[in-house]
Amino acid sequence: MTPFTPSTSHRGRPRLRYLGALLLLGLLALLAACGNSNSSSGGTTTGSGSTCPSTKQLTGAGSTFDNPLFSKMFQEYPKVQCGINVNYQAVGSGAGINNLLQHIVDFGATDAPMTNDQLNKSTSGPILHIPVTIGAVAISYNLSGVSQLKLTGPILAAIYEGKITTWDDPQIKAINSGINLPHKNITVVHRSDGSGTTSIFTHYLSAVSSDWQSKVGAGTTVNWPTGVGAKGNSGVAGQVKNTDGGIGYVELSYVLANNIPYALLQNAAGKFVAPSLDSAKADAESFSNIPADLRFYIVNGSGDNAYPITGFSWVVVYQNQSNSDKGQALARLLWWMVHDGQQYAQPLNYVPLPDTIVSKDEAQIKAMRCGSSACYSGS
Amino acid sequence: MSVPMPTSPSSTLQSGESHLHPFLTTRSSLNLRRRLVNALVVLSTTLAALFAAGLLIYLLYYVLSQGLRYIDLDFFTQLPTPNGEPGGGMGEAFQGSLILIALASLMGVPLGLFTGIYLAEFGRGPFAQGVRFLVDVLNGIPTIIFGLLAWVLIVIPMQTFSGLAGGFALGMIMIPIVTRTSEDVLRLVPRELREASLALGATEARTILQVVLPAARNGIITGVVLAMARVAGETAPLLMTAFGTTFWNTDVTQPMDALPLRIFQFTLSPYQQQVNQAYAGAFVLIVLILLASLAVRLATGGFKQR
Repeated sequence: MTPFTPSTSHRGRPRLRYLGALLLLGLLALLAACGNSNSSSGGTTTGSGSTCPSTKQLTGAGSTFDNPLFSKMFQEYPKVQCGINVNYQAVGSGAGINNLLQHIVDFGATDAPMTNDQLNKSTSGPILHIPVTIGAVAISYNLSGVSQLKLTGPILAAIYEGKITTWDDPQIKAINSGINLPHKNITVVHRSDGSGTTSIFTHYLSAVSSDWQSKVGAGTTVNWPTGVGAKGNSGVAGQVKNTDGGIGYVELSYVLANNIPYALLQNAAGKFVAPSLDSAKADAESFSNIPADLRFYIVNGSGDNAYPITGFSWVVVYQNQSNSDKGQALARLLWWMVHDGQQYAQPLNYVPLPDTIVSKDEAQIKAMRCGSSACYSGS
Repeated sequence: MSVPMPTSPSSTLQSGESHLHPFLTTRSSLNLRRRLVNALVVLSTTLAALFAAGLLIYLLYYVLSQGLRYIDLDFFTQLPTPNGEPGGGMGEAFQGSLILIALASLMGVPLGLFTGIYLAEFGRGPFAQGVRFLVDVLNGIPTIIFGLLAWVLIVIPMQTFSGLAGGFALGMIMIPIVTRTSEDVLRLVPRELREASLALGATEARTILQVVLPAARNGIITGVVLAMARVAGETAPLLMTAFGTTFWNTDVTQPMDALPLRIFQFTLSPYQQQVNQAYAGAFVLIVLILLASLAVRLATGGFKQR
């Protein structure tokens, strides 16, 4: 026999430890069961009569511009469609596009259509752009006691170029008669991450200021001549809210949620217009020539009531889906987003898609291929 | 026993001393200066200690006063609501954090413990020194680097963010902590205990498993729990690995939420209701970590030993 015989208490201790480990495992299992029962209780009904795909989870990343609308849509979606959870993380349009190109998300979301360079980086064939909503970019500012501030495109460009540095600059005073503008420095706030909102904003500045176009240009990230950076739409909104004399460009629903004042902007027709659902819609409707690949900007539209900094937002997906099951679930989700999902746009101050765009979206979704057949099986 | 001090030479020595150190002033002013310096140093160290403790107390008070009132049962059992709609909670974040910590422990505890045993029991020579040095380096690496590692090794090949990648990153952070604490406590086990066991004829394996390890059990548990508490609050490595979700998820191959991730996202939210919930989450996180350290100290009698 072994010369070293452990006492009974020595034998008991490991057993106690096993018991502890078992308890821990049991706790985890309980937790898992609790989670599962909670998730399945949400979505037992199926929207249409067709069979549900076996994929129960889709992952997307990108635009913060879309996030309020998407988080509402994706909370409702599992209740109506096969209990499919859509996990969307607002990491910025630039990061969303990168994640799609690296194949680690099922779809990206961006407010700047992908550039040819980005499209050429795809290792899995063509990428489809599917417009999902239209939103306005508000010019928010922080000046106590000043409401209904008016700005023009060239003045905005001069502020963001660092040429106008105080709020009582003669150029701002000239169009704001009756408003007592303080002698305060302007703190310019811009995005620090790759952003579709930045792209919409800089495309607008390029459209109204040739100086901006030649010196800075437009894109998801630009070389800012001045200002401080903040992450995401919510970051810019927070920065402006906390900076006396601050100015920043933020998607409209963030501004309304934060109760930050926003400027009236002079449009191409010479009228001063506030950002709103109607004025964004008026801007979008003034563009009738839509390219076949659905990559386009709608800044500085014509029409008396058009708000000039307005943009589409897109979901970007691979045309050839490598996983048929996932592809079918994705096509189904996109179809719902451009149809039934649009009901959530208006309450959150996004413009519901016009019918002309919806029919183009339908064609894009039907073009998605899962192996040899189309991903979308409905009509 | 006491040796009588020679009195007469001392006076001569004293006069000689002042000759030897001409830069020293008289004895009384020297004493005054010493006392002043002493008082100053005691005062500044006490103030520094008070400042550090005060900062922690202020932090606790602030998070408590901001977060406590938003905590209810829903906070632990419900999913987040979109756009600051009332109600909702962070249930999925608690679930995700528990799973991530379990995954991290599954990887970090055995690897860390075995490395610690190796270093304490067998580790001699340049190889052990090298391992010890590398473990220390590992301990000092910014945690976001482990996130990047998990991103390259797991997220990109798997083509999806996942709880697995998050658990791997957190496990990497745990390894050096568990290694160093277990090595230290194993070294504290008296040599005589090992010798007695070996003298009774036990093999080296048996000695380590049934004599040394049980003797060091409390210290090892302390190290493990502290490592768990440490990774429970990690955010950076999870941003590019676990990614976050707003749904219940127990599938480790899918994106998973965690308490610090949810706090990070809600703090940046434009909706006041989500900012409030972020404070509540921060409060729960702090309390959990405090409870863990407290429980460990109590269970192991750590208050007396340290």
